Amino acid sequence: MPTIEDLHRSTDSAVAVSVSTGVVSPVMPRTFTPRKKKKPWKSWLLFLLFAGPNVALLIVFTYKPLLQSLYYSTLQWNLGSASAIPVGLGNYVTWFDDPGTVRVVTVTLIFTIATVGGGMVIGLLFAVLLNRKLHGRGAARTIVVAPYVLSGVAVGLLWLFVFDPNFGITAALLDAIGVASPPWYNDPHWALVMVIIVYLWKNVGYVALIYLAALQSVPRDLLEAASLDGASPVRAFRNIVLPLLGPTTFFLSITTLLSSLQSFDIIQAMTKGGPLEGTTTMMYQIYQEGFQAGRAGYSSAVATILFAVLLVVTLIQMKYVEKRVHY
Amino acid sequence: MTATPTFTINRRQILKLAAVFGATATLAACSGPSLGAGAGAADAPVTDWTGVIPAKEITWWSNHPGTSKLIEEEIIKRFQAENPEITVNLVTAGANYDEIAQKFQAASGTNSVPDLVLASDVWWFRYMINGQILPLDDLAKHLEFDTADFNTTLYDDYTFTGNHWAIPYARSTPLFYYNKAVWAKAGLPDRAPKTWAEFDEWAPKIAADGGVMPLGLGKGASWAAWWFCNMLWGQGGAYSDEWTMTLDTPEAIAAADYLQSLIYDRKIATVAAVDQVADFGAGLTGCIMGSTGSLTGILKAATFDVGTGFLPEGPKGQACPTGGTGVAIASDRTPEQQLAAGMFLKFLTNSENTAYFSSNTGYMPVRTSARDGETMTKVYAEFPQFRTAVDQLETTRSQDWGRVFVPNGDKELTTALEKIMLQQAAPAEAFAVASTAIATSFDENVSAYL
Repeated sequence: MPTIEDLHRSTDSAVAVSVSTGVVSPVMPRTFTPRKKKKPWKSWLLFLLFAGPNVALLIVFTYKPLLQSLYYSTLQWNLGSASAIPVGLGNYVTWFDDPGTVRVVTVTLIFTIATVGGGMVIGLLFAVLLNRKLHGRGAARTIVVAPYVLSGVAVGLLWLFVFDPNFGITAALLDAIGVASPPWYNDPHWALVMVIIVYLWKNVGYVALIYLAALQSVPRDLLEAASLDGASPVRAFRNIVLPLLGPTTFFLSITTLLSSLQSFDIIQAMTKGGPLEGTTTMMYQIYQEGFQAGRAGYSSAVATILFAVLLVVTLIQMKYVEKRVHY
Repeated sequence: MTATPTFTINRRQILKLAAVFGATATLAACSGPSLGAGAGAADAPVTDWTGVIPAKEITWWSNHPGTSKLIEEEIIKRFQAENPEITVNLVTAGANYDEIAQKFQAASGTNSVPDLVLASDVWWFRYMINGQILPLDDLAKHLEFDTADFNTTLYDDYTFTGNHWAIPYARSTPLFYYNKAVWAKAGLPDRAPKTWAEFDEWAPKIAADGGVMPLGLGKGASWAAWWFCNMLWGQGGAYSDEWTMTLDTPEAIAAADYLQSLIYDRKIATVAAVDQVADFGAGLTGCIMGSTGSLTGILKAATFDVGTGFLPEGPKGQACPTGGTGVAIASDRTPEQQLAAGMFLKFLTNSENTAYFSSNTGYMPVRTSARDGETMTKVYAEFPQFRTAVDQLETTRSQDWGRVFVPNGDKELTTALEKIMLQQAAPAEAFAVASTAIATSFDENVSAYL
């Protein structure tokens, strides 16, 4: 019987070894690649029938606009005008040269990190809490998840009044403990804090919901075994539950990041990017430049940059973070 | 633990992907603007209107300024009674002028363009340089529009290259509103201050005896840079002289210094967090500069008597900008549709309907005959505050091009004013940043289209 080392040395070996069991089993030689059978036309017809409409919709509503946006980003084009002037990479150069770009990127980073990081931590805490057998658990679950299904504009308008420093409930509560209301609407930093709070309030239910589903699939016997071995609940959570939540965390990190970077409704309803552009994220800048300033080419350039950032971040997550996830 | 699935791609897949992207890119290039120099304004039509038969159906995009949907529907009903062969479809195309403009520009080149569209003070020029609206002089002449009866400033607001591009409709100006109860407590005469210098004298009494913050100021886009025209022009300054920014003049800096001193040095003005009109209505401030379009709402909401007056004068005299919206006709429609749209526009802005619209909304009567007619006279008798707004109309002037004609002009000026009001930034520095940005925007987005 050949040793494992012998088998590894052999490049055209007809056997393979399971590393975990050491069992040797016959496999096809590596040099042999079976020729694919030509698919009958019926298969193609079926493919077209089932996948065709979806592919067509994807091309028309996703890929075409994506490429159109890329093309428009090379034009100096006023929205509504029938003609445009090609400027190559001029719009990109303008964006990178603009002194306001640093502010927009900073606001975007702070908003994204706070909403993604904060949302996942708070969502997980809620999920852990709601996973326990408590009185009124069903009602609590509904309360936590309900804001997620509300319209972003409605949520924004609601909180617009909540944060009003003259008539809002936050001002009244702070006043009751002798603290003056922060200038939520007149200070760019407080305004950013305000929209982050509202975004978290609206979206944390989604994270909690997904984490709750994942927590309910954690095998109880593992936790019981850990408990018998003397592991504290905190240690069991850290060493057993958290690793098992890896795929869920990975999934949430991607979906919440994409959602956060594309956030628009709450900012539009509450601050319109102000004051002093203190809540203007890249997404909001795309809207402002495209529809308010009518600079369709420049707006497309910002959209392309945001797309590239999202693509790179997602690829990095898939390449590096996914490797650390245990399925 | 199971193996992590790996993502691989082979040559065939790359080729397939490239084919899909190639086909999509071809599709993408098939639409969008044509390449070349800026298209510019639409040419005056060579249409011989005498041979044109009006279309049977037209569409009007409105946001119903001053909650005027029922008023607009009533005017349409009256028009259709006189012209049963023409149907007018009223479409709510947005909640404000900006939303209408966004939709109108996005609809360019499609079949969804309306025949008539609202064209506000900050949007009509962009419609014009994009070639989206029709110069109206020939059509107005053919339809025997009585344009001489329009308030000259309001009608000429839409003039460029010798043509009129819209007809005034829901027009407004800023107006000085004051709380009469507070004024009485402070022992002030029942009128608005004639000048800012007089307001400076009154403000301590309003704060001490009236018990409120004397002046409430509004911030935000489409607002701050509008009312600031009063202080700026009153000091003899301007945002721009045609396309040249003039915010570096001593007069402009003096205006900003004055504004800043109201907030920080003398502490007699505050910037509203959300809505200065709501704060005024709740009795938090003694007076505000609000739109005449808010008059009806303020009178209804306030629990105290509201007084109105002209905006205070600066050292160089009275200064009040015009605002609001006109109505334009889309260039990308058939002559038949444009003629029908012109007929409706003439009806919409005739003397009777102008008075009907103004008396129900609070917007300015844009025709002299409507201003002096029976309907409005009754309104003045019932609401004397309205008469003030109408009288002030004679002192108004069109806005500076740097704010209303350059993309991002208002936004850059708003940012500069917010820096001055909220962060106590040096006016010269804040204005310099705005001026540079507006000049760049003009070079990139306007000059090529003129």
